[in-house]
Amino acid sequence: MSSTGSAGVVEAPRGGHAGGGSTPSPARRRRHTTSAGPLPYVLVAPVIIFIAGLAFVPAVFTIVQSFFTVNALDPPTRFSGLSNFRNLLESDAIRSSAANTALYVVVGVTLSTVLGVAMAILLQRPFRGRSLVIAVLILPWALPGVVEGILWSGIFDPNAGLVTSVLGDLGLGGGQVLLGPNRVLTIVLIELVQVWQITPLSVLLVLAALQLIPDELYEAAQIDGCSRWGAIRQITLPLARPGIAVCMVQALVATLNVFDQPYVLNGAAATGATVTMQTYFVSFQNLDFGQGYALSLLITVVTLVGSLLIVKAVYRKVEL
Amino acid sequence: MTRSARGARTTLRLAAGLGSAVLLLAGCGGGGGGQAGGGSTQTSGVTITVALAADPPPKAALDDFTKQTGITVNWVNIDWDSLQTKISAAATAKTYFADATDVDWSRVGQLGKLGWFYPMDDYVDVASLKADMPQLASFTSDGKVVGIPYDASFMVTTYNKKLFDAAGVTSEPTTMDEYTSALQKVKAKGDVEHPLDIPFAASEGLSTYWYETTNAFGGTVLDDAGKPQFTDPGSAGYKAAQWMVDAMKNGLVPPGNINVTDSQGQQTLMAKGEVASIFSDYSGTVGTLYDLPDQSSVKGQVRYLKTPGVTGTTTNLSNPDGVGIPKEAKYPQAAAKFIDWFTSQEKQVDFAGVNGPDKAFTAFPIPSRLSAVEKMTASGNLVYGEQLEQMLSGSKPVFPGGAPTWYPQFSNAVYTNLHAAATGSMSVDDAIKAMGDTATKLSSGQ
Repeated sequence: MSSTGSAGVVEAPRGGHAGGGSTPSPARRRRHTTSAGPLPYVLVAPVIIFIAGLAFVPAVFTIVQSFFTVNALDPPTRFSGLSNFRNLLESDAIRSSAANTALYVVVGVTLSTVLGVAMAILLQRPFRGRSLVIAVLILPWALPGVVEGILWSGIFDPNAGLVTSVLGDLGLGGGQVLLGPNRVLTIVLIELVQVWQITPLSVLLVLAALQLIPDELYEAAQIDGCSRWGAIRQITLPLARPGIAVCMVQALVATLNVFDQPYVLNGAAATGATVTMQTYFVSFQNLDFGQGYALSLLITVVTLVGSLLIVKAVYRKVEL
Repeated sequence: MTRSARGARTTLRLAAGLGSAVLLLAGCGGGGGGQAGGGSTQTSGVTITVALAADPPPKAALDDFTKQTGITVNWVNIDWDSLQTKISAAATAKTYFADATDVDWSRVGQLGKLGWFYPMDDYVDVASLKADMPQLASFTSDGKVVGIPYDASFMVTTYNKKLFDAAGVTSEPTTMDEYTSALQKVKAKGDVEHPLDIPFAASEGLSTYWYETTNAFGGTVLDDAGKPQFTDPGSAGYKAAQWMVDAMKNGLVPPGNINVTDSQGQQTLMAKGEVASIFSDYSGTVGTLYDLPDQSSVKGQVRYLKTPGVTGTTTNLSNPDGVGIPKEAKYPQAAAKFIDWFTSQEKQVDFAGVNGPDKAFTAFPIPSRLSAVEKMTASGNLVYGEQLEQMLSGSKPVFPGGAPTWYPQFSNAVYTNLHAAATGSMSVDDAIKAMGDTATKLSSGQ
């Protein structure tokens, strides 16, 4: 038996002895540790330094600087307490973008998870050409967001785009402006483009979890008269929960930080602007880096809290 | 194993581990490499990096510069938005990224206050340039020249003569009323469903379009103190915004233009004969984009129109590109030599293609020097050169007092609110009010 460690990852049996084997005595363990000396620490030191340099130090710097006025046009840098946060929360643009982002998250996480799970179930059983399907499926994930935005701007173009042509052919009225006039429709359509991008990863994550489910469980269920849908509900979904949790967390991170697609498809328009776009405007357009740090910190906190909630609600330790 | 042997092995392991850590740190720290300010005065045997949002000039020209000066040019083409981000990030972090780079007219006020660029007055004889470069004023902040304009981009009105003629518009409109009436005639004729391109996407191109239209209605956007001049319904800026939104509502502008940027409008609408006019187009498009058979289906049909005004034709606003030297440049003196060469009359004439296509610089619409434009016109190499020359000599900055330091924030308010008004989610009055409030707040330092 193995046990799950971090979300969705099934750990290999400890010590490499499947099914047990003799447990080393405390004395042996002590000897083993002693003989290794400082080498393990020295060997991992570069990685630790690397991670600290690229993640920990910038994170601490961001937290500290978010309480300072760091504005190239308003020097010097000085402590300003919570004023950056207060100004952000009072800003109409930030509040509007936060509401937009919430909608991106709801639509994106829901759709990419439902589609990811459905497609993973379809791909669970081997069939002819499955590898090819997976390879094709993953293509949108490999494309940069900007490229996808440009691609889809042609599809949504009300002057000559695919959508307007199809609507026109169906007698539903062509030439409609889809992006811009209506906030909800704009966000849903832009988010569809991002869902197209992030769903392949969701599929792979859930598929990896499904591959660990033994066939015997399905066979036993079938013998007991369980239907295909019943098997999915009683076996597949419960046992895929670690993978689904990871898939939802990655979708949450992606949608909370969505930038390329709305920026390319809808410009800086308030109907589709996101908080990460506002971070860019505040930092690099207004040169108010203090507020930029504060907004980044808020996004990070929301991401962490959201991820924890998802893990708490969805993740379950699975033993196979 | 003996104790000393074990100790030696442990030491060796430690050394290996520490060595790898040091190597990693060295690798991490190797990217900067620049001196913080100052830079070298060396002007020979050095390589400078020039970062602009353009493809490089012909290799032969750069090789020639190297031969003359001993300075090698490493040309880096970065898209405009990324370049502005890089300039800000590098200057804030006080790290080197280029010896010469873009100075956009709209950021001159900001860059002047920030002191991120060397004053060009220290390197170039600015006084002698003034008469030959009318757009130099757009690059001056607090009396200091932040960058030297290398092209003379300015806003112009273009129209498709064939479509206008077919609609019975036989004489060129000289006022906004005549121009609007002409567009209505073109629409009524039906050759194109929507005759006017206004790039209503929420991006910079929409702001500049509104500035040019405001100028046509006889006013300015901001006064010298940065106070808004467009909030009164009788003001030029208000009328311009109303005219633009009405054009969308009345079907003069294609509905899809809500998400069309300036360059998209030029390439996919005007160059394809889908619209008949762009009120605020960019100088140099006639003879290039609109006349290249592989990019245009309206070759020979598009003309410049002297910008219609209130009672007759009016002036044009300039939006030139400049080049300057960041404070973190490694070789500022060498960069100055490059800029001097790059903006010289001789090179501008070459880059404009007067002396053959092999010397032309494709990302170079019109020289910033009047003397170079005159040479181009005289040689017959500039399409509608006389018209352009007249418009260039009369062109003026968008902000007579220089672009304010907070221009990017103001522009953001302009294009997001005008976009919202065009979509119908906001009235023109509300949009103007929001833009005015932003300008008032920013100009009062709040």
